[in-house]
Amino acid sequence: MSRLSHAGLLLLGLLVPRRGVPQGVSGSVGIDANVIGQAVTVTTLSNLNFGSVPKGVATTVQPTAAGAGAWQIQGSKNADVSMAFVLPAVLTNIQALPGSTMPISFGATSARWNRATNNVAGATAFNPVAGTTGKLGPPANPFIYLWIGGTVSPAAATKPGVYTGTIIVTIAYL
Amino acid sequence: MKATGLALGLLCGAAPLAAQGVVIAPHAVFIDARTRSGAVLLYNPNTEPVEVAVSFFFGYPATDSAGRIVVDSIRRPDSTSVSAAAWLQAFPRRLTVPPLERQTIRLLATPPAGLADGEYWARLVISAKGGQLPVTGVADTARVKVGLTLEVRTIIGVYYRKGAVHTGVALSGLRTAVVGDSLALWARVTQQGNAAYIGTAHAVLTDSTGKTFSEMKAPIGVYYTMEPRYALAIGALAPGRYRLRFDLSTGREDLAPELVLPSPPVRDSVEVRVP
Repeated sequence: MSRLSHAGLLLLGLLVPRRGVPQGVSGSVGIDANVIGQAVTVTTLSNLNFGSVPKGVATTVQPTAAGAGAWQIQGSKNADVSMAFVLPAVLTNIQALPGSTMPISFGATSARWNRATNNVAGATAFNPVAGTTGKLGPPANPFIYLWIGGTVSPAAATKPGVYTGTIIVTIAYL
Repeated sequence: MKATGLALGLLCGAAPLAAQGVVIAPHAVFIDARTRSGAVLLYNPNTEPVEVAVSFFFGYPATDSAGRIVVDSIRRPDSTSVSAAAWLQAFPRRLTVPPLERQTIRLLATPPAGLADGEYWARLVISAKGGQLPVTGVADTARVKVGLTLEVRTIIGVYYRKGAVHTGVALSGLRTAVVGDSLALWARVTQQGNAAYIGTAHAVLTDSTGKTFSEMKAPIGVYYTMEPRYALAIGALAPGRYRLRFDLSTGREDLAPELVLPSPPVRDSVEVRVP
């Protein structure tokens, strides 16, 4: 199969929606039948969700838990990427009056990454504050999977409502 | 209001989060001084719109004390640096990519007059935020609920080439150590010429008969001097003497050959003793 037709097939694959599954692409992406190079895709699979938490008690979501935030990174096989985070220190109550906040913290093992396979149990723990570097998987699975948890510490007098914030993950192609 | 809806949808949990992300291609942009322009394709393969913002900074891969490759960002590059970040522009800088659609970001270079021949670097930051999640329930406001949204920034390299550009790499200080079930190797690599060395690192562990026990290949970009650490899986290797061969070449499977500056391969080898 020629490189051009290969790219065309991949582009066709790009344009077919697939519902209910993490989506991304592998290989090259074409524009008007011209190969412009391989793609990189970072897909958010799930947000970090603590659910309902008791007042006055710290609640931790482990990166291995169902509520953990998760991403899938797809790119060139065996390529190195760096993974860094911008992490919030407090969360804001978006239903109460301004000033209602809740501390959130991240520990030395609050994040995990795994090469090639979506298996958090076998993933490598790291400190999201420091970030880490990982290698994308081999040709059959050129992926990195990434998970993050954390700990919220609501005060006993915490106002009820929804507390939220944003975690920014930065993936740099090396 | 929009943020509230997003968070409520997140926390009610009645609707699972659809995958959110954007496909970015290529993962490295090469701009020629004759055209002074480039393009990046964004494609949203999901069912929610993605908000995208684009910016530049000056930085390049380097290694830390452990040999990990990281991006060094230089906030205030001096006048001698080969930064293109100040004179690259992206159009548009903010956009929304609808579901199942693609959009193109145009990159335009306006370098200063009298720019010397060579390659100039920048990093393109593409920030993507997913669309609003459906609100499928009513939050119980008597309770304390917590959830965080995730935003993604993807950083790719941009290379502006003017006039005659050439590259190469010097290799020295190859050394190894057995670490658990792996063979770690380090090497000092220094970029030559006036362009980044974009290539592939390749290591092979053989015995005295030439039989291969382990092999690895990894893309590498050398911008100044770095000492990357690699690891070869060796499992339970029998005690004895082996030889590690390490080479760097400019072949890259993920880049079009015409974009990669050719340079002769460099090689080194070292004996490995497994106790």
